[in-house]
Amino acid sequence: MPQQEPSSAPAEPRAASVEIRTAARAALIPTVRAVASDLAARADFDLDAISDLRMAVDEACATLVGLAEPGSSLRCTFDVHDERIDVAAQVLTGADATLPTDSFGWRVLQTLADQVAVETGAVDGGRPALTIRLHKLAGPAL
Amino acid sequence: MTADPEYAHLTPLLEEYSGLEPDDPRREELRDRLVTGYLPVAQHIARRFNHRGEPLDDLVQVATVGLINAIDRFDPGKGGEFFSFAVPTISGEVRRHFRDQSWSMRVPRRLKDMHVSINGAVSELSQTLGRSPKPSEIARHLDLPVNEVLEGLEAAEAYRSSSLDEMLSSEDGSATVGELVGDADAELDRVDYRESLRPLLAELAPRERTIVMLRFFGNRTQTQIASEVGISQMHVSRLLAQTLTRLRDRLDPGERAL
Repeated sequence: MPQQEPSSAPAEPRAASVEIRTAARAALIPTVRAVASDLAARADFDLDAISDLRMAVDEACATLVGLAEPGSSLRCTFDVHDERIDVAAQVLTGADATLPTDSFGWRVLQTLADQVAVETGAVDGGRPALTIRLHKLAGPAL
Repeated sequence: MTADPEYAHLTPLLEEYSGLEPDDPRREELRDRLVTGYLPVAQHIARRFNHRGEPLDDLVQVATVGLINAIDRFDPGKGGEFFSFAVPTISGEVRRHFRDQSWSMRVPRRLKDMHVSINGAVSELSQTLGRSPKPSEIARHLDLPVNEVLEGLEAAEAYRSSSLDEMLSSEDGSATVGELVGDADAELDRVDYRESLRPLLAELAPRERTIVMLRFFGNRTQTQIASEVGISQMHVSRLLAQTLTRLRDRLDPGERAL
């Protein structure tokens, strides 16, 4: 039974959006996941949800970085809603890159996020890209 | 430190002690006398580590543990001076204490205390709410501004406080690994991954393996796992993240070398 006490919650105006772009390198993933966890904490997600989102972003970014074109970027956008954060993580890839969904990593994503999907497609003048979209709710759905 | 006349009378006791059978009734009394006799050495070493954020009393205690280890392990038959064996043994014990408590050297006392209060609040609130609490709920419970709670949570994330978590974890009520992961094991059997996960899971320490199994194959939340395994939610969170990273590196070592 969620209590309505908006005055004491640190939540900010709805649908705040944050975008970060880094080189697609594993060494920069801790920065991205720290942003994810900070946004969730400030949006007053419960502790399980904060930690789940942090690990999900870590997993998604690590997967994508492994498939990214050398020298390319990792782009992550976070849309913070009242009770949900939507994440899109994207890298440019080679033409035939696919993201296996019969892997343990995918199961990790499915468990940690409330919803997860992968998109392939061209961006920026036809360059192939992979995008992982995931949603995380602020707490257990009641 | 070289042989000191102040301790000369202890040398024959050391020799006698090391010659005793493990179950000799005189051992305990002899050891007490040796510990008391050499205690100034342990105190001296403890004081060298003072003012680094740990109370001197704790340091003396840790140094004394080091001293006892040194007394137990010293073998006069191998030659050599007790001091040249004991001093590194005692300092090593104190250094290990700092390493285990590593965050206490760098984190302000205020944040450390906050971590303890937050952990307590999380476990109380989790029980009453039936889920993990939100930062605002922790703040209300502790009568603190939300910003301070956020700062405390961030510090807990930044500084690996695993030894503190260990201290706060209760051993009561922790079920055994086998009891907990039965269903999860069956679920793992039903899935077939490209990677062979099972041998890697088998390499994990039992507790890490239990936590991963319960989260990803047993459909449990971190808070549920915390209460079943008998450790804090924050500790579960940290162990899960560490274990996932390790598994990922092992599953796909080639691509992660970037």
